[in-house]
Amino acid sequence: MTARRCVALLVAALLVGCSSTERSDATPTTSASGSSLRGELTVSAAASLTDVFAAIGEAFAEQHPAVTVRFNFGSSGQLAQQIAEGAPADVVAFADTTAMQVLDDAGLLAAPAEVFATNELVVVTPPGNPAQIATLADLADASTVALCVETAPCGRFSDQLLTAAGVEVEESSVTRGRDVRSTLAAVTRGDADAAIVYVSDAAAVGSRVEVVEVPEAVGIVASYPVAGLADSDVGGVATAFVRYVLSDEAQTLLRDAGFGPP
Amino acid sequence: MNGGRVVRSGGAGTLVSVMAVAALAVVALPLVGLLRRVDWAGLPGALTTPEALSALRLSLVCSLAATAISVALGLPLAWVLARRRFPGRALVRGVVLLPLVLPPVVGGVALLSAFSRSGLVGRYLYDWFGVQLTFTTAGAVLAGAFVSLPFFVITAEAGLRGLDRRFEDAAATLGAGPAEVFGRVTLPLVAPSLAAGAVLAWARALGEFGATITFAGNIEGRTRTLPLAVYLLLDSDPEVAVGLSLVLLVVSLAVIVALRDRWSGELRSQR
Repeated sequence: MTARRCVALLVAALLVGCSSTERSDATPTTSASGSSLRGELTVSAAASLTDVFAAIGEAFAEQHPAVTVRFNFGSSGQLAQQIAEGAPADVVAFADTTAMQVLDDAGLLAAPAEVFATNELVVVTPPGNPAQIATLADLADASTVALCVETAPCGRFSDQLLTAAGVEVEESSVTRGRDVRSTLAAVTRGDADAAIVYVSDAAAVGSRVEVVEVPEAVGIVASYPVAGLADSDVGGVATAFVRYVLSDEAQTLLRDAGFGPP
Repeated sequence: MNGGRVVRSGGAGTLVSVMAVAALAVVALPLVGLLRRVDWAGLPGALTTPEALSALRLSLVCSLAATAISVALGLPLAWVLARRRFPGRALVRGVVLLPLVLPPVVGGVALLSAFSRSGLVGRYLYDWFGVQLTFTTAGAVLAGAFVSLPFFVITAEAGLRGLDRRFEDAAATLGAGPAEVFGRVTLPLVAPSLAAGAVLAWARALGEFGATITFAGNIEGRTRTLPLAVYLLLDSDPEVAVGLSLVLLVVSLAVIVALRDRWSGELRSQR
């Protein structure tokens, strides 16, 4: 009895000793930002942020090893609506201040949103530009143009762009993607003649599309706000992530991905 | 009824009943929820908006065309599967029935790899004939035919297998040629199965979403069938989306009712 109890105590002591050693070994001492943050962070972000936020998330997790960052990418309008109806999220980053306003009006934000990047529209075509799209007006003659749905910011901006340029593309030639990445896919798969997406999306797929610069696009700028949500369980981590997105490190990543300054 | 069997009250009997009610609730509650969601007063208005009318018209055209293709191509295939023995018959049947189980969006990806402008066959269609199937109504029909063909084939094959060959043999003995035997003896006898198969195929083609949106895109008036319209309008115009959902629900109900003898008739014959 006594011997067994001794062994049990010994094993317990070893386990405790080992685990605390592991913990201190695993925590890197390189970062000065403090690894005391822990938990699972859910970030709901606009589809156009897919690649760059994955990189930002990775960099953030490196500095805070006890934090797991999960992303939920989609159309800003749809995400805002889902969150307003109770979908769980800790941080939101949208391609449009209108979508963020929905959450602000519902009192769901922990603090006022801040704009962390901007984006502009661009026309993309499959490599080789088979339909010879050179100007916005050419889109009216194309057999299939891919645009985002009107409930997504890129859809609203695209419609705005076409209206401002006086170009009318027949709805019967437009395939509407539910977010900018599915709109882009209509061209990268090769069968849509052109799509209107963000500069950052064109940069993300590189040579899989050809970019057609349209001067009229200069006037339309998408502002990307980011904010933490009020009823988050990991409020401290959320605030840290928002700060990180606004930091120089993340801003460099955003610039490299084709986003403009806030 | 079944004479001589003791029915246990309480215990296992009650548990089974409770679980049966739970199973029914899983299906019935969402349907009841949908019916309650409908704004009945605004329904006629919602269903006559340009988006709704376009989707209704397109769905009708695409589903009927897909069914016609499924029947025209499916009947010879069902015949071969039912009547001819050849090596690999089970494999052929397996391949034909695959779209029954394949996730529809996967079907769409598969269709793209075969029929897009850079696809296996699509590239020749485009380079030689200038024909593009993606983002077209024909593409939506193709997606519908892809998912509905197995429904027709499986039903038609079962019908052909269940046929008493003696009628055909008798007709042949009396001097009828193969075409006449088929037209005047076989076809009338399997007609109920063929009709049921066509209805099932039509219902499946009508409800197709994943393959259509992936292969044919989401274009108003060209490929935005009812399910795609519901998906799109859910965010921007929920009243129309719910109204169109009701239309599909009613059509589905009509199909179930039309084929009710199939579901229960087979069971009846087993007693």
